[in-house]
Amino acid sequence: MRTLQSLVVAGAALLVLAIAAPALSHHAFSAEFDANKPIKFKGTVTKMLWVNPHAWIYVDVKKPDGTVEEWMIETGTPNTLLRRGLTKESLPNGTEITVDGYQSKDGSRRANGRDLTLPNGQTLFLGSSGTGAPDEKKK
Amino acid sequence: MRNRLLAFIGVLAAVVAMGLVVPAAGQAPKKYNAPKTPWGDPDLQGVWNDATSTPLQRPGNVGEKGVLSDEEAEEFQKSLEHDLTRDRRDGGGAADVNRAYNEHWMDARRLKITADRRTSLIVDPVDGRIPPLVAPSPERRRAQAARADGAARFAAGLPADFTDMSWPVRCVVRTDVPPYLPTIYNNNFQIFQSPGYVTIAPEMIHSARIIPVDGRPHLDKSLRQWLGDTRGHWEGSTLVVETTNFKSEEGVLFQGANPATFTITERFTRVAADAINYEFTLADPMTWTKPWTALIPWNKVDPDEQMFEYACHEDNFDMVHFLTGARLREKNGER
Repeated sequence: MRTLQSLVVAGAALLVLAIAAPALSHHAFSAEFDANKPIKFKGTVTKMLWVNPHAWIYVDVKKPDGTVEEWMIETGTPNTLLRRGLTKESLPNGTEITVDGYQSKDGSRRANGRDLTLPNGQTLFLGSSGTGAPDEKKK
Repeated sequence: MRNRLLAFIGVLAAVVAMGLVVPAAGQAPKKYNAPKTPWGDPDLQGVWNDATSTPLQRPGNVGEKGVLSDEEAEEFQKSLEHDLTRDRRDGGGAADVNRAYNEHWMDARRLKITADRRTSLIVDPVDGRIPPLVAPSPERRRAQAARADGAARFAAGLPADFTDMSWPVRCVVRTDVPPYLPTIYNNNFQIFQSPGYVTIAPEMIHSARIIPVDGRPHLDKSLRQWLGDTRGHWEGSTLVVETTNFKSEEGVLFQGANPATFTITERFTRVAADAINYEFTLADPMTWTKPWTALIPWNKVDPDEQMFEYACHEDNFDMVHFLTGARLREKNGER
């Protein structure tokens, strides 16, 4: 009975895997970041690591007791931003950003930058349209 | 929204019945003459993008229709955009964490359906669905189950070691293994030609396919490669590419196809100055009950746009993070 149950579960898992494979093949974010550890804080950009497959933004976060913690924020591929005409100089050191994302599963001070916003409320790197990307200029 | 779309399409489908059929795959408009290279081959060179929101398989909510009217297409596109966009935060933490980053990191072209308003990229079978899977042999079942166990450990955030990560996650092969399917970004392909060769360099991830078109035979079956062994030939203005001899590792090929029996035939036809029809047929008697075919339009990118390197491996911190996270959670008794 137990074997049958295992077989059914394995079969279902395989089916799901087979169907979902193309969509998931890029990066299983939930394997790295914890959905139960949402974070939201303000930080000051100290470094931009402009690398593939994911760029990383380093921010200093001031805690209520005055101490400062360094966090690493994972973002997407720089290719997309380059295509939109943006470079790592587009986010100079000292910029204050609000980070809204999820902390890493190992509890270290790393998080994915689900949404990043500037002090004036503008979404960092602008939104999905009107970015000046070559493919959008003609529209 | 979904229900309204379903009802709307259902009624129309009944009225129109099978009146509209999918245009024959790979068929070039008769009036377009593809330019030629100096040595006389059809010229496919340039940077092309295959992003689209049109799903590979026809979703259940569009009934049996293969091609939509303008109004239906607009609603279909809106519905797909709603599902795909990263500029939303609903659905709870699990869904949200997997959306990862908002839309500015994504290829905006992936939110548009194909210009021909099809409901699936699959054109054969006509139901727009992948044919039923063949029951695997006991040996393949064991291999697939082992791979699935690793994938499950990885998905749970507890990979045992690096082999629990799939080949794409490990940056070994990704969308550079045919068939070429649209993804969230890096949907560009650059085609180069020289006498006797066509080369395709995908932006994701790092392997170019060098395709001999000089009539030489395939390699011996014992020589297996990540991208398979590829041979091409011209049929009129269409480049026909046949690939076999993929490496035997489980989980490299689409839907876990069996490397020893899998073949893919791709057809590249330039149908306009700025468009290629990319059609592929997958055949594997060990995996699908019959071969199936999809057609994906490739659109030439703006000349201002260029290919960028996607060095997946070099700064892939994620691999270390996956494993340190898993070890810490084990230590904390979360396993």
